Amino acid sequence: MTASAPDEAPILSAHGLSVSFGSRAALAEISLDVPRGRIVSVIGPSGCGKTTLLRSFNRMNELVAGARTAGAVRFEGVNLYGKDVDPVDVRRRIGMVFQRATPFHKSVFDNVAFGPRAGGFAGDLHGLVQEALEVTGLWPEVAGDLDGPATNLSAGQQQRLCIARTLAVKPGVLLMDEPTSALDPTATARIESLVDSLRKSHTIVIATHNLQQAARLSDMTAYLDRGELVEYGPTETVFTNPREPRTESYVTGRVL
Amino acid sequence: MGLAVTRPRRIGAQLRRLGALGAVCGLAAWASVAVLLLAIGVLVVRGWGVLDWGFLANPASADPAKAGVGPAFAATLWMGVVAWAAAVPAGVGSAVYLEEYAPKTRWTSLAKSALANLASVPPVVYGVAGLALFVRGLGIGRSLAAGGLTLAVLALPLVVAAARQAIRAVPGDLREAAYGLGATRWQVIRHQVLPAAAPGIVTGSCFAATRAMGEAAPLVVVGAVSFTTFFPLRPEDPLTSLPTRIFDWSARSQPEFAALAAGAALALLVVLLTMNAAATVARARLKRIGR
Repeated sequence: MTASAPDEAPILSAHGLSVSFGSRAALAEISLDVPRGRIVSVIGPSGCGKTTLLRSFNRMNELVAGARTAGAVRFEGVNLYGKDVDPVDVRRRIGMVFQRATPFHKSVFDNVAFGPRAGGFAGDLHGLVQEALEVTGLWPEVAGDLDGPATNLSAGQQQRLCIARTLAVKPGVLLMDEPTSALDPTATARIESLVDSLRKSHTIVIATHNLQQAARLSDMTAYLDRGELVEYGPTETVFTNPREPRTESYVTGRVL
Repeated sequence: MGLAVTRPRRIGAQLRRLGALGAVCGLAAWASVAVLLLAIGVLVVRGWGVLDWGFLANPASADPAKAGVGPAFAATLWMGVVAWAAAVPAGVGSAVYLEEYAPKTRWTSLAKSALANLASVPPVVYGVAGLALFVRGLGIGRSLAAGGLTLAVLALPLVVAAARQAIRAVPGDLREAAYGLGATRWQVIRHQVLPAAAPGIVTGSCFAATRAMGEAAPLVVVGAVSFTTFFPLRPEDPLTSLPTRIFDWSARSQPEFAALAAGAALALLVVLLTMNAAATVARARLKRIGR
């Protein structure tokens, strides 16, 4: 946690964050800071709570019946779980890309325009859509057929479309939940270089079970195990010189 | 080698057993189709002779040679439209509420099971309810409007069931993706859930409307008249319908009227099957647009 620049407050931070679904505890007392303009990866075995942690950052967990959240998540200093905070507003500021690409059954244009329209965007919608598609490198591939159905795109294109769709809302933080786990190596490489190019303009939290991906992309790495934050620090330290033996055995591929 | 010898035998035994089961199931399936075809065949043989434009246009008459189903036909279409127009907004609204808004309480699950059970209430019961509710309660008399509303109440649980099923079938990740982009609950419903559920809702509600249009019992209870000579157009016009017309004719002793009943039944069947076919086509169309 010492890695965040001391002169700047973290853009996003969790304080004693616990989440449970019914009687099952998913996250226990997580506290971590996401520094502004950095890429933070969340790693850990399946079911360790990576997805739940990401979803607690934009209040997606409460869409699931029986979900309970305790503690606080602060975005720009404001507790997202405060009484007068509207979850719809939270999700417009903290965008999310899911594991499986889920293009809406609409045209490419309408997919990207969905978020801005939902938020009542009144400016140059076409320009906004083009910009989002250009950032994701999709523009040359789809410019000729913006009105074509998004479901006709390849799996990798669909995931880039979902990223473009999220970027079009201009979120302050981008959450990516295993965005490449359903893609082939070529499509994965494209998404990774896209994430890398976004680091200049965005703060990104990416959950991944691909350790190389975490090592390649992120500035900071959090290792979760069974809902507990085992270790959090600069990616290089976590991978080469971890403090905790549990982290070391996970990143070196040894099973406890 | 041992495997090669024993395996086919086992599979053969399984096949024989499955074969017997398959044969029984196949027989049952073909028997039901045969019964249906037989019924249609009887209708065609007995009713084909009376089917002509005059029969479809003429009003009822004591003279079998002049009698037709014109007003009854028009009344059934009229009530079908009323039933559809009343049951679809109410039914889809209920389904959206139950699936998307309603908190998971004992009351909601009670409402859900009540609606599900309503779908299996005998149609004649709806007639009694319609008589009390619309004819007497609202005081609109034994009119077309009362008949149409009774059929709407009959269709309502069917529409709710179809719409709920269609809404539940919308993938959860589609909803989550929309929520993740900062859409409100209503925006998610309006732009994702309803369009994705539309094919199922359209087909289900058309099936519900044709089910209602084919009912005679509730209309008999509400008070369908057996004899109208003018075309019903206004809501307060006397209640008549194609199914009650068939019922009336088939109860008479003269063989000429039996032929008329068969002809009218054939006409009703053709209309309802056409509507169901149209609903199926509409579903395919909507699905293609959705993609």
